[in-house]
Amino acid sequence: MTKQGRERPSAVVRGRMTPYLYLLPALLVYGTFLLFPVVRTAQFSLYDWSGFGPATFVGLDNYAGLVGDRRFADAIGHSLYLIIFYSLIPLAAGLVLAAILRRGQVKGMGFFRVLIFMPQVIALVVVAVAWRQIYTPGGTLNQILGWFGIDSDRGWLGEPDTALSAVGVIGFWVQFGLVMLLLLAGMGRIPNELYEAARLDGANPVAEFFAVTLPAVRGEIATALVLTIIAALKTFDLVYMTTSGGPGSATTVPSYEVYNRAFQLKQVGSASAVAIVLTLIVFTINVFVSRIGEERRALR
Amino acid sequence: MRRRRLIATGIASALALGALAACAPGDSGGAQPTNGPASSGEVTTDIASLGDVELTVWDQEVRGSQNDALESLNKAFQDKYPNVTIKRVKQSNDDLQQQLQLALSGDDVPDVAQVNNARGDMGQYVAAGQLVDLEPYAKAYGWSDRFSDSVLAKVRYSSDGKTFGEGNLYGLPQTGEIVGLFYSKSKLEALGAELPATWTDYFAILDKAKAAGEQPMVLGNIEKWPAFHVFGPLQANYVPADDIVKLGMGNAGADWMAQGNVDAMTQFAKWGTEGYFGSSPNGTDYDPAWAEFGKGTGVFLPAGSWVGADLEAIMGDDLGFMAPPAGLDGQLATTGGTGIPFAIPAKAKNPDVAAAYLDFITTDEAMKIIADNGGFPVNNAAELAPASGVNKEIYEAFDKVSNEGTLLPYLDYATPSFADTAGQGFQEALGGQRSPEEVLQAFQDDYGRFVGE
Amino acid sequence: MKTSRAEQAINYVILILATLFAVFPIITIALTALGPQLGVVEPGPHWHNVVDAWQQGRFGESLWRSLVVAAVVVPTALILSTLAGYAFGTMRFRGSEVLFYLFLFGLMVPAEAIIVPLFYDLRTLNLTDTLVAVAMPQVAQSIAFGTYWMRTQFRALPPNLVEAAAIDGCGSFSTLRRILVPPLRPALATVGVLMFMWTWNEFLIPLVMSPTGQWRTAPLGLSLFKGQYTADGALMAAAGLIIAAPIVVMFLILQRYFINGMLEGAAKE
Repeated sequence: MTKQGRERPSAVVRGRMTPYLYLLPALLVYGTFLLFPVVRTAQFSLYDWSGFGPATFVGLDNYAGLVGDRRFADAIGHSLYLIIFYSLIPLAAGLVLAAILRRGQVKGMGFFRVLIFMPQVIALVVVAVAWRQIYTPGGTLNQILGWFGIDSDRGWLGEPDTALSAVGVIGFWVQFGLVMLLLLAGMGRIPNELYEAARLDGANPVAEFFAVTLPAVRGEIATALVLTIIAALKTFDLVYMTTSGGPGSATTVPSYEVYNRAFQLKQVGSASAVAIVLTLIVFTINVFVSRIGEERRALR
Repeated sequence: MRRRRLIATGIASALALGALAACAPGDSGGAQPTNGPASSGEVTTDIASLGDVELTVWDQEVRGSQNDALESLNKAFQDKYPNVTIKRVKQSNDDLQQQLQLALSGDDVPDVAQVNNARGDMGQYVAAGQLVDLEPYAKAYGWSDRFSDSVLAKVRYSSDGKTFGEGNLYGLPQTGEIVGLFYSKSKLEALGAELPATWTDYFAILDKAKAAGEQPMVLGNIEKWPAFHVFGPLQANYVPADDIVKLGMGNAGADWMAQGNVDAMTQFAKWGTEGYFGSSPNGTDYDPAWAEFGKGTGVFLPAGSWVGADLEAIMGDDLGFMAPPAGLDGQLATTGGTGIPFAIPAKAKNPDVAAAYLDFITTDEAMKIIADNGGFPVNNAAELAPASGVNKEIYEAFDKVSNEGTLLPYLDYATPSFADTAGQGFQEALGGQRSPEEVLQAFQDDYGRFVGE
Repeated sequence: MKTSRAEQAINYVILILATLFAVFPIITIALTALGPQLGVVEPGPHWHNVVDAWQQGRFGESLWRSLVVAAVVVPTALILSTLAGYAFGTMRFRGSEVLFYLFLFGLMVPAEAIIVPLFYDLRTLNLTDTLVAVAMPQVAQSIAFGTYWMRTQFRALPPNLVEAAAIDGCGSFSTLRRILVPPLRPALATVGVLMFMWTWNEFLIPLVMSPTGQWRTAPLGLSLFKGQYTADGALMAAAGLIIAAPIVVMFLILQRYFINGMLEGAAKE
């Protein structure tokens, strides 16, 4: 019986092919509308092509062109820097907020949850308009600094040394509610008895957080990290709508390069090469992150 | 583990094979250079005889006066030709230009579309044979009498798209544009200054304003393109207009590293780093910047005619507009030209009706409708000028510059990548991140690579 | 569960600060939306901006189209990713890891990259300007995340649930439907809201896939306030609020599932 059981896909699935049947519909749609276009993008990346008219096969020239491209290298560096704002800080903030909402007897929990999630909801075009008002030399941020006696007439998005961080803060603002929500979903699964037991043992809130809450949401942490790191590396809208990669090229990111090359410079071949390289980078980083999440789980 | 890798490789190579079997990019639906129906000489101007037609128009005239003018012109066109129904799709210019790039190669194209005259847009579509050569229609409708040569030059390309400014006609503009100096009359008066007659005067007023604690000029350049409209007129003070036209249209024979350009960029960079545009032009948005000017920030606003109507609503009589002082050769020269021209895609289903539409929205009556709605018509500016107000000054400046001087092309017309190169360069010069020479070298590399081809 | 007074106080301070930070840019948007339109000088608040934005942005039609697109994308993607996540999360089979990474891969692909080939290939098939062209690429994107998310959720369920189902004689599908889906309702609600939100705010796909504007969704309406050189910030912000409103409503309706539902599920076990 054990031998047979091991060969079965699961306790309720007999047929070897059954798992594939469950995958099939998703795979069909996904393959047609996402994977296949990616393969086509890879194909386009081998051509010198403006997106219309005739194309010339150039082999790996588009990739070779990226090797010495300072602006492309900078773009990758910028997107890695954005991970701090999009991913790491929101994770810390999200953990604290979710833990408070889960275990503390907070009145009006729904109220806080909704408002903190709200930044995710609003279209980025509009978000960008608001933040540009905040960062402008006469804007809200400088006014708030003024209350604390700091006199500033800086245009935060216009100075090379602050522009990227300023974009990053917008990214943090957008992401932290999402991270909180994902973690709450995991924490909701923790039975109340576990918290009660911890308290009977005399654990303080911090100890309880590390003993009960954190271990239970490792999967969600990995999910949140994967999702936000992808968002950081794939950032496009926010840069496009706040700085257009400026000042100079201080905030350009790979996805902006993809868009800029494809639709402004009309170099679809080169844009495709950037896209493929970007996709591979994101994939590598995330396989790494999600493996860490799963190994920890296995230890448990 | 090894087996997994095998499977992965297998899947990857299977997909790759599938892709290679598929057609190469650009083949499917890629339009071969076509001469369009017009070249066969069978153009007709008798629209009423064509039966029921749905005319699809893609435009970007979404805001205020221009939208109103086009709406009423569309209605009048349908009243004149009851057999025609106009299907208007409007959207922002960014969205429109992006969509045209993909859509023009297909069969499902609009009959009329607004196509930016720049080499990166119209130039490339002409080279790919995706736009109708309008010459036969121009003859049939007499457009060369209606438009001045200098206006039509901005929509002319050779049929291979290589020469810009001469050749066949590929679009028809409806509105005019001129970049100049908006100013606050009360602020000038408070400074005890007259309107500048020369660039030297202008520089002196700016210094005076700065000394008096006023912000001399207003510029919001976070979007990168607004700086083009400050540098363009300034350049004319240092560089002969002919050279600027070559640089701006991407035709051979000029040099960005010439001394005049270095002087112009040095002056421009000085304005940026020494606070002539306030603390952070690169960190300020375009729209709020000119709105702030309306509310009393700054003495001058170097900008295009398009902000005139909105600004006048805020400032009233205090607002003035002037063409920049005469350039190096003593002639007026400033950036300006046409609004985004209307063109006919090569695969349009109703080119004859489309041409009649182009004709209809650029007649003298149409110009009047545009003017009445507060817009800025490309033709007849002198006659249609309102009796007073900022539009009077704008119309007069446009008329004067286009007749006595030179309307300089927008610098981003030059090469497909020049908007990107110069947008970045102007910001770096303004912020002092790179020296004027370094910035100009990047401009020259881009321009040189293009004209060298 | 009891928490001390001091802890309660700290909790509230943190929550209130976080909420203020989250909300103040939105207040900026609201103030902009009620501020004067370009060239208007009378003092506000200008409530009619919302009406103007509604009419000029033609939101009556485009919100409806957005709803239709979302009504296709979200349920389809939810069902397909639940089925796939069920296989990945509870079954052992050959190639499961490779296939899983294949799905994960889809999360990494920037939409700007695939939009060009997608447009040309769908046009060859005469599918542009149809609901299929606008919805299916978004279903594919949502499946990539949905599968990844549902796999995690299925794995986090106690393994004895499936064994108990086997003892009760359930087949694989009825195990999914009767035993596993009920405790996963909150997780489904979470991912459903996210998918709805992404679909609702998607910009590039409906723009490119619907050249003649037949399937233009609500966010594209923002483009109607942006002229070549100048834009009307007040109308754009008002339009932004109109576009965001349905998601907020959706979120408010579903939010009770997020935690309360979870506790039920866990308690039943």
